[in-house]
Amino acid sequence: MVDTVGYGLIAIGAGIAVGITGLGAGLAERDVGAAAVGAITEDVSLFGKAMVLMVLPETIVIFGLVVAILAMVMISIPTA
Amino acid sequence: MFGRSGKKGNYAYIVARVKAKKAGLMNDDAYSKMLMMSLPEISRFISESGYQKEITELTGKYSGVDLIEHATYTNMARLYRSILESSEGDLKEMIVSDLERWDIWNLKVILRGRSFGLGADDIREDLVPAGVLDLEHLDKLISMDSDDDILAAYQKQTEVTIPAAVLSKYKEEKNLAVIEDCLDKIYYEKLLLSIDPSSRPKRLFQDFIRNEIDITNLETILKLKKENVPADVILTYVIPGGKLIDKKLATQLANAESVSAMNGDLSQLEFYEDIKDALDDSKPLREIVAALEKYHMAQASTFSHLYPLSVIPVIDFMIHKENEVNNIRIIARGLESGLDREIIKGLLVV
Repeated sequence: MVDTVGYGLIAIGAGIAVGITGLGAGLAERDVGAAAVGAITEDVSLFGKAMVLMVLPETIVIFGLVVAILAMVMISIPTA
Repeated sequence: MFGRSGKKGNYAYIVARVKAKKAGLMNDDAYSKMLMMSLPEISRFISESGYQKEITELTGKYSGVDLIEHATYTNMARLYRSILESSEGDLKEMIVSDLERWDIWNLKVILRGRSFGLGADDIREDLVPAGVLDLEHLDKLISMDSDDDILAAYQKQTEVTIPAAVLSKYKEEKNLAVIEDCLDKIYYEKLLLSIDPSSRPKRLFQDFIRNEIDITNLETILKLKKENVPADVILTYVIPGGKLIDKKLATQLANAESVSAMNGDLSQLEFYEDIKDALDDSKPLREIVAALEKYHMAQASTFSHLYPLSVIPVIDFMIHKENEVNNIRIIARGLESGLDREIIKGLLVV
């Protein structure tokens, strides 16, 4: 019973890690994306640079995903 | 949510666009090259530097210096309008308030043109539809029967109220300066009111506009002093709302015996270092005006770097674009008049 509650809390934590970082990345990408579209409107050759800047906030989600994976691994490791 | 509602404005998009546009503006080398060219060469040079569409459109209608002037003004008007149409929320409101200076410019052109008996086509040629009123609205103003109708329609279109006392004084004296002075004062009053100083970037923008009022007032005082206009008359042309030049300082400056005598009063201002070399009765006024313009542009760039996601980078671009257009016109007009290249170079603000 105790294990089940603990596993549940770990799973919720993993979900929060991915969810919150996803929101953070979305907020960051809002401004970066708008600026990227603005820059490309003026100069199409900036597409490559704008694309790189556009995906940079995605790294935040990767951090969240790593934390979530580590948390889920904890569930799968049998306790002694 | 997160304080990012649509009303806040699309700062990131607009600022990225104007920064890209600003990167494409001409630099000092381009002006040096143009100084060595003939007028047709300048037309070709500017058509390769962002004015191609306008040069192509107008080349059948105008030639020489007229072509250059109309192409640069048309290009500037289109750029401002495209920024205005792409902006949203409070950013748009602030840009609209700032661009109303061109509506006032156009109204002055219409009133002056009519007072000199020019026809509708001649007046239309001198308009710069870079403000809120497009050419269609301005055409309606030109076609009106009397100045009273024009002023009434303008007030309705731009939600501006010219005091009845000013209108009656204009009717009595038929002196356009009365209306022009009043419009300038109303413009800055409305612009300052449109800025909600709730955040630091907007307070900074307000400071920037108040600084602009100071520069305008100082230019007015210096120009009128050079013409030996009495102090009490000079003070009627001073625009209220300045940051550094208050009523007391303006009175002191207007009462100064000469331009050199203003040194003491002006030494407390932050732009004194930029203009002190030109503050001499023996030097032409244009040197002080050019020094003030340079200071104003430098300040716009500094502020725009402090707060990239604000209206200041947009205003910074507009000031630099207008300066580029002015510089091209100075070069073209100077070369056409046969002025010495060194004199023309001295007139440029770079």
